[in-house]
Amino acid sequence: MINLAGRDILHGWGKFAFTGLGLGLLVGVTLSMAGIYRGLVDDGRVLLQNGGADLWVVQRDTLGPYAEPSSVRDDAWRSLLAVRGVAAAGNVTYLTMQIPHERGDVRVMLVGFEPGQPGEPGFLVAGRPVTRSHYEAVADLRAGFRLGERIRIRRHEYTVVGLTRRMVSSGGDPMVFVPLRDAQEVQFTKDNDALVNERARTAANPAFNRPGVPGLLEAVQASQSASRSVNAVLLRLAPHADEAVVAREIRRWKHLEAYTRADMDEIVVAKLIATSSRQIFMFLVILAVVSAAIVAFIIYTMTLGKIREIAVLKLIGAKNRTIAAMILQQALGLGLIAFLVGKTAATLWAPIFPKYVLLLPGDAVLGAALVLAICALASLVAIRAALRVDPATAIGG
Amino acid sequence: MDTAIEIRGLAKRYGEGDAAVDALKGVDMSVAPGEVVGLIGPSGSGKTTLLKCLGAVIEPTAGRMALGGETIYDGGWKVADLRALRRDRIGFVFQAPYLIPFLDVTDNVALLPMLAGVPDGEARDRAREMLAALDVGHRSRALVSQLSGGEQQRVAIARALVNRPPVILADEPTAPLDSERALTVVRILNEMAQRFGTAIIVVTHDEKIIPTFRRIYHIRDGRTYEEAGEARAA
Repeated sequence: MINLAGRDILHGWGKFAFTGLGLGLLVGVTLSMAGIYRGLVDDGRVLLQNGGADLWVVQRDTLGPYAEPSSVRDDAWRSLLAVRGVAAAGNVTYLTMQIPHERGDVRVMLVGFEPGQPGEPGFLVAGRPVTRSHYEAVADLRAGFRLGERIRIRRHEYTVVGLTRRMVSSGGDPMVFVPLRDAQEVQFTKDNDALVNERARTAANPAFNRPGVPGLLEAVQASQSASRSVNAVLLRLAPHADEAVVAREIRRWKHLEAYTRADMDEIVVAKLIATSSRQIFMFLVILAVVSAAIVAFIIYTMTLGKIREIAVLKLIGAKNRTIAAMILQQALGLGLIAFLVGKTAATLWAPIFPKYVLLLPGDAVLGAALVLAICALASLVAIRAALRVDPATAIGG
Repeated sequence: MDTAIEIRGLAKRYGEGDAAVDALKGVDMSVAPGEVVGLIGPSGSGKTTLLKCLGAVIEPTAGRMALGGETIYDGGWKVADLRALRRDRIGFVFQAPYLIPFLDVTDNVALLPMLAGVPDGEARDRAREMLAALDVGHRSRALVSQLSGGEQQRVAIARALVNRPPVILADEPTAPLDSERALTVVRILNEMAQRFGTAIIVVTHDEKIIPTFRRIYHIRDGRTYEEAGEARAA
């Protein structure tokens, strides 16, 4: 039996291809939206993976360090290292900021870390690790910095000595790793004018400036200008250590909050990016509905253009299922073309997006199934119209 | 005489109550195998309704119809599968050829036997044979859009004949053609009727071809009146 749908498509391939192209761009947008959502989730997950930590110790009653501000004294790591099961502890600071660059300001997450401890960049794709105590940086490729380039962060210039990849914040901002002390200074140290003002205010306070207590004022002022806080302490556990038990110990005895990887995953994915992901999901749903409506309209219009042929087919004895199969196959053919165009388009334009777009093969398969299902459903309206065509209309009168 | 088409007291009413319209009011007609008869009448006389009833696409209200001696309607359809009846036992030729534009000439004709379950190869052989008989065999690979009006109408006739139906219903088949082509189509219909023993009813307004029919049925106000060729010649 002749494949009527295939012949019709071949006969009017130009019209069919253009329709498929238009629909494909819509499918491409839908796939990109799914990719943006996946990228958002993946950004959150790589943030957790890249630190190489098993536990995140943060200020009590906070969801820090990513979802809420957290401040922990920078000597807390010593006592944490003494907890049974803890193999390594590293102080970290996180600060999202703008860094001036020749191509304009670059928004980055500045990470302060201790070399060799949890929190340092997991791998480099170029250059070397930070080896000096100050003014060296490792940057994510997405920041656009070059090896050897000097970048200005607040008061000081840093040399980019290494480049890494896929080290981003949950918001997709590229990370720039600098030594902890530098990061603390950037985050917590006030500028000169503020320091002068603060010293004057302290000196004017009789509680701190007692004539009979030499050295008190200097000690207070020194403590005010020094930065002794970090945002979190990342812990790496010994093999076979139970992270839940260690976390419970820390909460019980150290008066700090400790989150396991599962807890952090919940915080980052379910809380931090929940609104964004819901927003994208809603947009995906609307796009799917719009796509379905457009497919239905296109298939319906294409079918109405063949009413006379359908009437003749019915008059000469074609079964309803032959006509329904023709329309369904055309709808599926259109869906297939649209998916291929959409997948190609989404793959081509994904790297242009400023944030990470993760196109998963599983999503592509699901997308193809959904597109075909939508096309099949959309064709029902056209099939219904075709089956209602009276064969008598072929005779006229 | 054997009859390919036998109609007695056929009636068709559209609508009900005060809005009812009697399109056919007791039509009688008989056509022998191999015979080509004309059916003429003014607009609104019931020609198309009669053709639709004969083509089993609308149901009459009363009367009896038989094809090849088998009653297909007698106060109700006597055939379970009207689609198969149309496909296997009735051929249709329309005012416009209404060929499927996305199929080539061979497949336009072969589609009918394929729909009847004939294997593709055999269906195409039959189609080519029929196209050759109608002198359009050389255009068998052409698309419909590449044919002239006369060629398209020949292909439409080939499609109507390919399943060798005992009956062909032709609705104004020469309307879009000039005199020469119109007479050619009628000649072909007569030849095919003779060759395959097919009874053909040609609905027409075309003054050019009316003299070619040996028998004509006039239809007026839903009733038919037969006029023999000899009577017309007189």
